[in-house]
Amino acid sequence: MKRSLPYLLLAPALLFTAFVLVYPLGQNLLNSFRAVHLVQGTGGWTGLDNYRHVFADREFTLALRNTAGYALGGTLLALAGGLAVALLLERATTRATPLVTCLLSLPWVISPVVAGFAWKWMLNDHFGILNAWLAGAGIVNPGTSWLGNPHTALLCAMVARAWQFYPFAMVMFLAGLESIPAEQYEAASVDGASAVRRFLAITLPNLRPVSSVLLLLGVIWSFNDFTTVFVMTRGGPIDASMVLPVLVREFSFVHFDLGKGSALSIVIFAALVLLSALYLRVLVGRERA
Amino acid sequence: MRPIIVALAALALGLPSCARNDQAVVLNDWNFGGRPRLIEWLRTRVDSFQVAHPGVRVVQSQKSWNMIRELLYAEYSCGTGPDIVNVHANYAAEFGGAGYYYPVNTFPDFAQVKGWYVPCMIEATRYGDNYYGLPSSAIAFVLVCNKELFDREGIAPPRTWSEFRAAARRLTRDTDGDGVPDQYGLVLLGGDRGGFAYRLIPFFLKAGARPMTDDLKTVTLNAPGGVAALRLIADMYQVDHSVTPGFLAYSLTEVNDLFCSNRAAMSIEGPWFRGMVDDKCPGKKFYTVPVPVPDELAGGADTAATLQDMVMYAINARSPHPEQAWELLKYLRNEEADMAWIRQDLGATATTRAALESPEAAALDDLPVYVRELAHARPWPAHPKMIAIASDIFTPWAEKAIVGEISPAGAMDQATREAQELIEGKR
Repeated sequence: MKRSLPYLLLAPALLFTAFVLVYPLGQNLLNSFRAVHLVQGTGGWTGLDNYRHVFADREFTLALRNTAGYALGGTLLALAGGLAVALLLERATTRATPLVTCLLSLPWVISPVVAGFAWKWMLNDHFGILNAWLAGAGIVNPGTSWLGNPHTALLCAMVARAWQFYPFAMVMFLAGLESIPAEQYEAASVDGASAVRRFLAITLPNLRPVSSVLLLLGVIWSFNDFTTVFVMTRGGPIDASMVLPVLVREFSFVHFDLGKGSALSIVIFAALVLLSALYLRVLVGRERA
Repeated sequence: MRPIIVALAALALGLPSCARNDQAVVLNDWNFGGRPRLIEWLRTRVDSFQVAHPGVRVVQSQKSWNMIRELLYAEYSCGTGPDIVNVHANYAAEFGGAGYYYPVNTFPDFAQVKGWYVPCMIEATRYGDNYYGLPSSAIAFVLVCNKELFDREGIAPPRTWSEFRAAARRLTRDTDGDGVPDQYGLVLLGGDRGGFAYRLIPFFLKAGARPMTDDLKTVTLNAPGGVAALRLIADMYQVDHSVTPGFLAYSLTEVNDLFCSNRAAMSIEGPWFRGMVDDKCPGKKFYTVPVPVPDELAGGADTAATLQDMVMYAINARSPHPEQAWELLKYLRNEEADMAWIRQDLGATATTRAALESPEAAALDDLPVYVRELAHARPWPAHPKMIAIASDIFTPWAEKAIVGEISPAGAMDQATREAQELIEGKR
């Protein structure tokens, strides 16, 4: 009894994991090698046909490019924003700082659906507050369409994604900044280093482990992000902002080809496993350092 | 301790017997879309059905039109789904043809029930030799013109394409003098693939073009009339700049906002639009007129086809209670029930002869236009792939042509090629 108790205690969690993770993943993997069509029913094994169809699809190439840009661009933007805010908060330590930090963290806790709709309305060409400000300042013409323009729609989704992710980066950078030994800054000051020089030679190198972890986490989460793009643009206009997770939905529940949708989701899964392995490697390296 | 256990056991055993109508037949009824007052009316109607049929309990669920095909396919392919559901009538081809809907013509009293409806309405529920539902409400796509803007310019609603284009150009204005137009002649619903196709195809139909041949074997989206219709809208967007620049992102909400705030003068809509405008901007007036025809067809404007869209109630072929579902269907869609579409603005047009020919119907503002248009309107071709073609092939190519990424003729050639491959099973 004593020996089996740990397994018994683990069993519910293992069963739950098997039910909600292993089974769907296994079923998805099986479906990716079969003809599974919601309209025509399930056919036989098709080998790698579904994968071949995915890679041959012109939307796949577009979505892959968009996803890479969205994940990397959105994350870098969030990291830049998070670092800037963290530096400001670290410098300006007042009694209001905790409250300001809390307020600045709000985008992180807002539901992505709500955030998507809020951004959609802020970017509305005729009634959006962003256009009102930008047009008021003479930066853009009134009525400029952001989400209806194939050249700017993805960029807008990227900004919204960065807005959601920057508080997490901010908190991580704040922790990273606090762990930098004050002696390093004092020594640099004695040597007459300017603020920019201190930032480049001390702050940034010390934040490198945090930055690399954040970059990988941000790319992984954004690579997998369905909600922001779907709510804001549904992959449009004319597929200009199509990303891989939205394309999985298109294949599975618009074209009703679950086999092809499963194949694409396995491709995404493989890419995320690779990124996660990289993340773990960075994390282990950081801990060793 | 023991008395407590006994009491709990007795309670547990007794609870099921307290369940309401535990011998009742349960019918699941899914309702997609609809204005709040329609949903309320349906609830009341179902309640009175249950009073009249104590052995039947109806469980109603309200769903969004946006996800209708995804939801239904997911349910039906698992062998589940509601007993009765309201869907577009052209689903008779897609879902009826796939064996998901019950052929209601097999019920013994169908011939009598069929007589309630205007013939073209009940025919829209037919695919092959079977009828897969009863008409719920009908829609003809028309042009709505913002009365305030038209009257201010002193122009009448257009009847031909050249009048339409001229009106849109004239109504595109910079009203606040900042050098940028803030009022546009036409707003299009570009952010909704299905909705966009439904609004562009009326122009194709008015020009005599058809999406498919009558034998449903050949796609004809690139017919000259269709290409001309697409060129008209593309020229309005690219040359005249009289179409709202951001239309590719618009949902119905944005279209309504622009129309109500006088930033758009015209839109292609249907009977639901008056209610939407009233909700947003009570008292706002607009003209409801047929979609314009090409100039050379002006003489036949009164009989040129527009798009007919109809909603029908269908019974799930796997329902364990088809007889009871049929009774509910008839109760929801009989002549007496259909009068609700006349007495209240429920967002569509009645479908029975009794309702449409009633004295109350004659007093309604827009109804004559809709009834006249419906008399010549055509539904989407009854091909199981038609909705996929309209949403996933026609709309993206048409939108590319409108914004100038490809010529209208090139776009429709490409759409025709892809759609043909789809119906031939090559895609």
